[in-house]
Amino acid sequence: MSKTVTLTIDGKQVTVPEGTLIVDAAKKIGVDIPVFCYHPKMQPVGMCRMCLVEVGRPVVDRATGQVVKNEDGTPQIRFAPNLMTACTTPVSEGMVVLTESEKAHDGHRAIIEFLLTSHPLDCPICDKGGECPLQELTMRHGPPQGRFPYEDKIHFEKHFPLGELIYLDRERCILCGRCIRYQAEIVGEPVIGFYQRGRATEIVTYSDPGFDSYFSGNTTDICPVGALTTADFRFGARAWELKAEASICAQCPVGCNIVFNTRREAKSGGRVVIKRVMPRQNEEVNELWICDKGRFVHHYTHSAERLSRPLMRKGETLQPVSWEDALRTAAEKFEAAGKEVLVLASGRLSNEDLFNLKALADGLGGRAVLYGDMGGGDLTTLVGVGQGTNLATLGAGDAILVIASDLQEEAPIWWLRVKQAAERGATLIVANPRATKLDTYASFVIRYANGDEVQTVLNLAKKTDKIGQAFAEAENAVVFFGSEGLGLEGSQRLAVACAHLLRETGHVGKPNNGLIGVWQRANDQGAWELGFEPVADLQAAFEQAGAVYIVGADPFGDGRLTLDGVKERPFLVVQEILPTPTTEVADLVLPAQAYAEREGTYVSGERRVQRFYAALPPYGEARPDFAITAAIGKRLGLDLEDGSAEKVFERLAVTQPAFENLTYARLAEVREQWPIVGRGDLYYGGTAYENRRGLGVQLVPAAQREEPVTLPEVQGEAGPRPEEDEWLGVPVTRLLDRGTTVLLSTLLHRRIGEPFVVVHPMAAERLSLAEGQKARLTVNGASAEVTVRVDETVSAGVVLVPRSMGLPLYEPMKVSLKAL
Amino acid sequence: MSLAEKYPQEVERILAKYPPEHKRSAVMPLLYLAQREEGYITKAAMQDVAQLLEMTETEVAAIIGFYTLYHDKKEGKYRMQVCTDLPCALRGADQFLEELCENLGIQVGETTADGLITLEEVKCLAACDKAPMFQLQSGEGIEYYENMTVDKTMELIEALRKAGKEVE
Repeated sequence: MSKTVTLTIDGKQVTVPEGTLIVDAAKKIGVDIPVFCYHPKMQPVGMCRMCLVEVGRPVVDRATGQVVKNEDGTPQIRFAPNLMTACTTPVSEGMVVLTESEKAHDGHRAIIEFLLTSHPLDCPICDKGGECPLQELTMRHGPPQGRFPYEDKIHFEKHFPLGELIYLDRERCILCGRCIRYQAEIVGEPVIGFYQRGRATEIVTYSDPGFDSYFSGNTTDICPVGALTTADFRFGARAWELKAEASICAQCPVGCNIVFNTRREAKSGGRVVIKRVMPRQNEEVNELWICDKGRFVHHYTHSAERLSRPLMRKGETLQPVSWEDALRTAAEKFEAAGKEVLVLASGRLSNEDLFNLKALADGLGGRAVLYGDMGGGDLTTLVGVGQGTNLATLGAGDAILVIASDLQEEAPIWWLRVKQAAERGATLIVANPRATKLDTYASFVIRYANGDEVQTVLNLAKKTDKIGQAFAEAENAVVFFGSEGLGLEGSQRLAVACAHLLRETGHVGKPNNGLIGVWQRANDQGAWELGFEPVADLQAAFEQAGAVYIVGADPFGDGRLTLDGVKERPFLVVQEILPTPTTEVADLVLPAQAYAEREGTYVSGERRVQRFYAALPPYGEARPDFAITAAIGKRLGLDLEDGSAEKVFERLAVTQPAFENLTYARLAEVREQWPIVGRGDLYYGGTAYENRRGLGVQLVPAAQREEPVTLPEVQGEAGPRPEEDEWLGVPVTRLLDRGTTVLLSTLLHRRIGEPFVVVHPMAAERLSLAEGQKARLTVNGASAEVTVRVDETVSAGVVLVPRSMGLPLYEPMKVSLKAL
Repeated sequence: MSLAEKYPQEVERILAKYPPEHKRSAVMPLLYLAQREEGYITKAAMQDVAQLLEMTETEVAAIIGFYTLYHDKKEGKYRMQVCTDLPCALRGADQFLEELCENLGIQVGETTADGLITLEEVKCLAACDKAPMFQLQSGEGIEYYENMTVDKTMELIEALRKAGKEVE
């Protein structure tokens, strides 16, 4: 326990750890000191001067060192002659702070008057209006009228994009520097800065594209005025018209807690639509932040292309049919196929959907397959991170290994939290075949050749070098393994090697220790928990099946499945929210609700089960996935739950040992978190929402339940190596890919870009290619036009091929690349 | 041509002054170097400095923006920076500046048609007792001219103009 200090703020006594700032100590007892530049997640700078308070300290007799007492025995307090900034002044024993005195109020009034000398007061057209710290604090503390001439206000162009995602209004900016400090201190990407000085100061970006950071949207939440707004929400709605419903971001395995702000509007045909996505506080998951993909990718939910009615194939075309006909047909075809039913589902689905799908497959004796090309989920259920894991508590003495993953591209908020753990002193080991942005923060960077993944982990386990020793000796250790450069088999083997490393070094079965899969979809971990596994040869599984039920996946669009050369095609039922190349070839299409339209749960990569809630009304005739599956099951005589997601979860919790004793009510439990945000004081933490709908519960891995854990044997190599005179294409993951849902957010198009490949400069030279040049990539008979990028950290014989960019490469394989 | 190619020895000499892990401390001398030839820092030179010091371009730009002796626009070959703070004004600096403007036919902040002189009004240059005074900034550095009159200044400008022509 660190030393504590007791002080009095506005007559209330409070005891806080030594070193606490007055502003935070006051917050703990509900005294709101006004701030603009201070933010509880950043270092104080005392720039805006809004937090002025009177500070008194006990008078100490220099001769005796004793506190001088008044006649009544109370300590004599001497107040500082000037007001002090509560955000930069740490508390001290016996301190007396006055935040509501006349003198303090004078200070607040004066600062507001100064801040408004050049603020346009255009609240009626400002996106921030209604949730604006400056507006709020002006009403509370400001003078009724300023004394400065109105004509002296500086005017700037209103429409000033910092990039295509974030707009700056320089007139409104009060130069608190929160955004600049956020980018420099928290993200480590100082791509915005102050330019000029005095009244001419403005915020600029010189990156290309402008404000080049995956975290840029967060600056609009912490901006205390309407200076930074998102292009997405600009003039979109007034804050007070918006409804807020809690959800979980479905874009990656981090499971960021979010809120969907929705509004019913004429512009959208009288429908309720998502106007913006906001972070919801969960200090153990995403703190107050979300990445720009999570913030801006929501547009697919109200795409005009959404599937709204069941469709059945009649000859060449798909025709609308009733749900009754659709469900009956599906049931008949599945019954006829019996054991030859293949259920292919993705980690885009909730646990409830997957549970019913597995029950359907099991009931028929068929197969349930997870759509994806990353293995190792069986190992994360055994030696995944222990219950109670919180990356924010890792620091000096602990170790983190990130292997085969470009964490910023695959799970941006994990990247942020791993970076911060490294800055707190954790030993960060980054092992990857090429350089990634995480290298900057690493204690050790291991650059292995493609194919050496397993060997790299085995070398660490030998503890012969200082890297292996550092990992073994760490008090706590977490391993993030991904699928950079690997297919299903390679990532599976890598996971096995990592699991052994963790167990041999005693880093399993406890909080802050264990294995985390950097999955490709939000609920891949949940799918593994419920018994889904990917298959190596999807095409063969498809061709052998009598009927195929594809849910939440687009294998035909991704080039994973083809009908070319298929003699006897199985009956194909596709359950989707949007038309895809897969629905185009389907015999029956069942329209599903988007996850924002219904309830459910996901399991994050850290194995936290989290609830999401219905933010939107259902679209057309679309139904929740679990209910569609249950309705088909009922027609097959199977006892599947279709009442509600909660009821499905009740069954799931009974049958799945890992989910024992979990209920929707437990998942909805909250505790008070620090910093306190999202209440009436948006000036303190920004517009991130307070968590009122559940912090979720982490599953207990087998190793922590003290069950015997049997790990598979480590197998040789993770993947092939490039041979002489050939090019080995390897898959890598990019945050902004060309997935169906991502492409519907037109705002992100420039950042998504065109399909590309990355090669070593020498390889480029051998192929007579240069950076930015067009080339033709041929993989497995399929070919596509790509733009060439050059990276000198890529291995010489390797061509990096991003996943979901329209290039069908899912495991390391030979490719050819020719200049166009 | 990049900065390192243009001035290899000087770049090396500047970088050698700072420990490698604090090489960003070299940003200010490198920016002066970048400004030497053109009298302002081009976007390309800014990128060079950022790359050399492993900083973002925005960070380098912020420094150029903050300090008044770095310039980001092409203006006159010489920048004549006249102090008009109170003590200088008491010695007639504002009158001096006004007459100088008339003689040159430009306003404060503008550049003469031949691109030789940009006239600027600045705060204290710490030579109050020798006003009217100004400093002359060029790629070569900064020089002080004290106890000036408009006539003496016009002579100086004529000399600069001639010198420039002779070089050509």
